[in-house]
Amino acid sequence: MAARILAVDDSPTILEMIKAILESGGYEVITASDGNEALEKARGEHPDLILLDVMLPKLDGYRVCRLLKFDQNYKSIPIIMLTAKTEEQAMATGIRTGADQYLTKPVEPDTLLAAVAEELSKAKGQ
Amino acid sequence: MNEWSGSKDLTYEEFVRFRDFIHAASGIYMEDTKQDSLRISLVTRATRLGLSSFSEYFAVLERDEHELNELLNLVTINETSFFRFPQQFEALRTRVLPEIMANKPDSNRTIRIWSAGCSTGEEPYSIAMTVIDAGILSLGWRVQILGTDVSTRALNVAKKGEYPKRSLLNVPSEVLARHFEPVPGGYAVAPHVRSLVDFGYHNLIKEPYPLALMGNWDIIFCRNVTIYFKLESTKRVVSNFFNSLNEGGYLFIGHSETLSQINDQFEAVEVGGVFLYRKPKTRRGIGIAARKPAGAPMPPAEPPALGQREAAVGRSSRTTGRKPERDAEQHSAARRPRPAPRASSSEAQAPDPVQAARAALEEGRVAEALELAQRIIASDPNNADGHLIVAYVHADAGDYAAALESCHRALAINPLLPSARYILGIIYQRQGDVVRAVSEFKKTVYIDDSFALAHFNLANIYKSQRKWDAAAREYENALRALYKSPEGAWTEFLGGFKIDLLAKTCERSLLECRKAMGVS
Repeated sequence: MAARILAVDDSPTILEMIKAILESGGYEVITASDGNEALEKARGEHPDLILLDVMLPKLDGYRVCRLLKFDQNYKSIPIIMLTAKTEEQAMATGIRTGADQYLTKPVEPDTLLAAVAEELSKAKGQ
Repeated sequence: MNEWSGSKDLTYEEFVRFRDFIHAASGIYMEDTKQDSLRISLVTRATRLGLSSFSEYFAVLERDEHELNELLNLVTINETSFFRFPQQFEALRTRVLPEIMANKPDSNRTIRIWSAGCSTGEEPYSIAMTVIDAGILSLGWRVQILGTDVSTRALNVAKKGEYPKRSLLNVPSEVLARHFEPVPGGYAVAPHVRSLVDFGYHNLIKEPYPLALMGNWDIIFCRNVTIYFKLESTKRVVSNFFNSLNEGGYLFIGHSETLSQINDQFEAVEVGGVFLYRKPKTRRGIGIAARKPAGAPMPPAEPPALGQREAAVGRSSRTTGRKPERDAEQHSAARRPRPAPRASSSEAQAPDPVQAARAALEEGRVAEALELAQRIIASDPNNADGHLIVAYVHADAGDYAAALESCHRALAINPLLPSARYILGIIYQRQGDVVRAVSEFKKTVYIDDSFALAHFNLANIYKSQRKWDAAAREYENALRALYKSPEGAWTEFLGGFKIDLLAKTCERSLLECRKAMGVS
């Protein structure tokens, strides 16, 4: 069965592009467009991996990440955070929030697919 | 002069002639951006009368007041709908009504609401429905709502209270069930709603106001009406409203309008992202010294010098749909401190704060972009690009109410800004209002067909609705636009993603649509 990925971005345009990348890699994709929805879907649908944008309305990506990573039930879900170029200093925060990997936007499709594959296989091995 | 044998172009001189006549006769002032819509109204009327030139029609207009009315009916056609900008009705229900009721003495249980410039009646009826749904009638309160307008034709429609189905698309079905009755071809406002509303003719520019209108109003709605008036007239109208309101009473204006530079007597009150204006209660012994409006949506700005204003409008229309060149030079130049913007004929050399703000935005320095844009607006409230940048920042931060407001401000200055339409579309899409999103994306590509992302979003919406045919067509349009104008204004909404990726996504989705259509 194809792995299910929750992609979170507040821009429907970007979400659609990310979805296309992931689907081209053979993944099933569910989407959320703000932090609250991301939390709900993460908890409700327990995806195999979460691709999380940092800048999100309502609840930013870091908080979503922290809330999931500090929760016994969800901390095993790998999270890849997408950050903007100028958020270098934020990367440190990304690590503290427990994200498994972070990629800078705009991300190359191949890089994204490689990172997803890597995190999924790491999670499987655990 | 100007026979209509060829194109039906309205020269600027002719436009000015009609504009000034209409202004003198009705107080309605049409900005230059309205030239084309006036042209259409004129052609419509003149053709109807069998005339063949604008000058012939002008002669008729001068001697026939009835014809002036007919023209005004067209000119003032407003995009009205029930519960237009619903946040304002929400604010009315949750904040304004309770506050006004609380401030009334026990002996007075009547609330009076005036919908000024009510057009075909959607607004006063929406107010009545809101009042009914707030449940205050059953508490023994009486509510009187008056709708006035300058268009007799609009008033006749309003009084009839019947609307075609398509104008009720935004009305939730439970509201439809509660407050409307089906009639052939549409719905009629139910009697229990109509009984709260009266209509009357009134020209907001004509002073003095009839006694019946002066004084004792608790709430006045005058939304998107003053955009037709010149600044001086607007000031007088708003001042009349101020005088007509009870203390503590509220003025609702259009969400794209502001009282900054028009009136500083009202206090601005924010309710759920909506700005309302309240007449302060008199403090005994204190004169009417300048009172700073609290929380005004815009920073107080110096009134722009006329030349500056014109320069700004010119600038903003010139930059429409174009993107500053993206070379390293420009970015480093953008960081240099710049002198305040001044009207200048040598604009090509003048440093452009809009570019500086855009550069900041592109580099992710969002707070700086916002500050720069707000400074642009403060020195020139008619700078559409400034409002657009503010809209962009708010939209990105998820503050949709503020983003919508800024978009509408930009569009009030220049209705043909593809980026503003696009941002509106994005916001509606994010809010789940697909109908409006589609409408705005369509307007975007209507203004600028090479706006690839608008085609892309239309396509995505159609695809999600399983309208494969329409979706496929829009993906194709997106691809065409993308190759035609790979550096277009739309690229700033790509979030840094490469155009190739967009192209691949389009191609992929196009294939998917074709498969679904059974064509491979």
